[in-house]
Amino acid sequence: MNQTVVSYLSQYEFYDHLLAFFGNNQGLLSFVIYMIFILIIVTMCATIGGLGTYAERKISADLQQRVGPNRVGPYGLLQFLADGVKMMTKEDIMPFTADKFLFYLAPLLALVGVFSTLAVLPFSSGFALADLNVGVFYLIAISSLVGVAVFLGGYASNSKWSMLGGMRGASQIISYEIPVTLSVLAITLLAGGMSFGTIVGQQKGLPFNWFIFHNPFAFLAFFVFFTGALAETNRAPFDLPEAESELVSGYHTEYTGMRFGFFALAEYIEVFVVCGVAAALFLGGSSLPFNISFDILPLQLLEFIIFMTKTLLLYYVVIWIRWTLPRLRVDQLMSICWKYLTPMAILNLVGCSIWIVVFNGKSIAELIFGGH
Amino acid sequence: MFMQLLFGLSALLTLSGAIAVLVTKNIMHACIFLLASLIGIAGLYATLGADFVAVTQIMVYVGGIVILMIFAVMLTGGKDFVSRAQNLLGLAPSMGNKWTYTVGLLVSLVFLLTNVKLISSIVKSHPAKTFGNEFPSTVNQLGHLLIKDHVLAFELSSVLLLGALVGAAMIARPRKQ
Amino acid sequence: MIPAKFDGLMPVVILMAVAVLLFLGGHFVSVLLAPKKPSHLKSTPYECGEQPVGSAWSMFNVRFYVVGLIFIIFDVESVLMFPVASIFKEMNEMGHGGYALIVFLSFISILIEGIAYCWKKGDLDWVKSYQVSLKQNNK
Repeated sequence: MNQTVVSYLSQYEFYDHLLAFFGNNQGLLSFVIYMIFILIIVTMCATIGGLGTYAERKISADLQQRVGPNRVGPYGLLQFLADGVKMMTKEDIMPFTADKFLFYLAPLLALVGVFSTLAVLPFSSGFALADLNVGVFYLIAISSLVGVAVFLGGYASNSKWSMLGGMRGASQIISYEIPVTLSVLAITLLAGGMSFGTIVGQQKGLPFNWFIFHNPFAFLAFFVFFTGALAETNRAPFDLPEAESELVSGYHTEYTGMRFGFFALAEYIEVFVVCGVAAALFLGGSSLPFNISFDILPLQLLEFIIFMTKTLLLYYVVIWIRWTLPRLRVDQLMSICWKYLTPMAILNLVGCSIWIVVFNGKSIAELIFGGH
Repeated sequence: MFMQLLFGLSALLTLSGAIAVLVTKNIMHACIFLLASLIGIAGLYATLGADFVAVTQIMVYVGGIVILMIFAVMLTGGKDFVSRAQNLLGLAPSMGNKWTYTVGLLVSLVFLLTNVKLISSIVKSHPAKTFGNEFPSTVNQLGHLLIKDHVLAFELSSVLLLGALVGAAMIARPRKQ
Repeated sequence: MIPAKFDGLMPVVILMAVAVLLFLGGHFVSVLLAPKKPSHLKSTPYECGEQPVGSAWSMFNVRFYVVGLIFIIFDVESVLMFPVASIFKEMNEMGHGGYALIVFLSFISILIEGIAYCWKKGDLDWVKSYQVSLKQNNK
């Protein structure tokens, strides 16, 4: 329980040697280990975010029978590096009417909000950075910083398009937080805890042990969660805040160069995080089939690969949805949230609580096949 | 070491944010400094080992109240975002004369002394905890307390929130002609 | 196993610091590499090529505020439900499932009442019914 990288590594012998090397300073050693893992994870997520932009274009090209980026590197794979270099060498322009302080602050808030969520993402049973007791709850709370950032980006630019995008973005993000939170509550009920360790630990075994197949209500909750999470990350069909055909580019119309890059990076990493959370909450996360639990390093890597596979598959679905569905209208957006998703989420919550009491917390599979 | 650092950072964020809210003349900046202050308070809760309360602080205040304040500011809109007060007295709410200020000062003095008296007795009976550096789960304890000892308060808080919802919806609805 | 002493919050704080450092580093690189040729016309806010008219900071519709208000109420309710939800299973295993269910469901039923009220009164509509009726009256 409450496994972190440090407590996981401390099972091994080399940890003691390391500890001796650092003069038995536990705090310093944890700091160094965390730092190394955080740098690895941040680099990985930035790469995934960059490759996300590439995948987005390539998949959209496939869906529209085009070729897509194919010049930079093999199959255009290095396109995202070229984009990054281009962003860095772009001139930094700020509207003279802008609120300078907030204009600088907005991308920073978006980055901080998204990066902090990486701390609880359960990459594998041993390699999660921190398995907080309030895991999922923390993740929902800290990602609401992005809403503030989106608004501030729109407000600080003092451009009409940005302002409209920012207002829409903030109201959309807070509205869709309700169905997402209620769906997470349903999973909290089923797992009996908020920490990702508890939630993933309960879904070990074959796919029918996953929470999505636990009961019909949880099955519904997955779709409510996924739709709400799509809207929270401002992805199409919910990309009202940056609707390019009506609001030019929405809240980041006035942003150029690196600052625009930070907004884009934050958005793509957030999509990755959301997919990871969906995989961990409903699709078993990093759990291995057949309840194998030899605590050795290769198995940790296997778990990591399983988690990434599920997450990236969901990432593909997100891109797929974006290039399939047309954008909603603002009034449709609000009515979908408050009149469809929220009542459904409440129904799921009620259903899950009744299911637990009536069937004593057993899943459908356990009821059919009997026992554990 | 880490906990002391976290405490120092959070306290700095809380205090500097709170002071900046008072000093700044731009109302939107004040909202953002308030956000910083509230995040700092969440950090303070975290150093005390109250993980659930810390996250609740972020969830409700950072994600909710600050956005609501921003929306309220945008309701007024217009160009009067910057207060034109020149000195400190101009910043104070201009609703009093010498008498009201004197009475206000006396009342706040009495209030302060009462609070000091109350807090000192609490500090004496419960000596300040040293930083335990431990994170026992407060969630389960809270849950048990809510569902057993304080179940009435739990249910009544729901009724209170319902009242707040109805009231908020009523106020925001313009009167029909 | 080491004690849970240094677990928990440290990665969160480090990640925030890394985000800030990345931000500053990106700015630094961009200052080094990017050209700097400011002009007044370049830094006017984009309004499709026209001269911008007035400020964008104008009064916004009250509906955003209503959404914010309703959101906060639901937010606080879900915050209160989280601790109860995380011990619900434990209560059920201890044999107090029925009691916990009644407490939990009565809490939710009041929440449902709230959303039903707002729905009935039209506060959840983006285009309010009275706005529509006012427009028709003006015609």
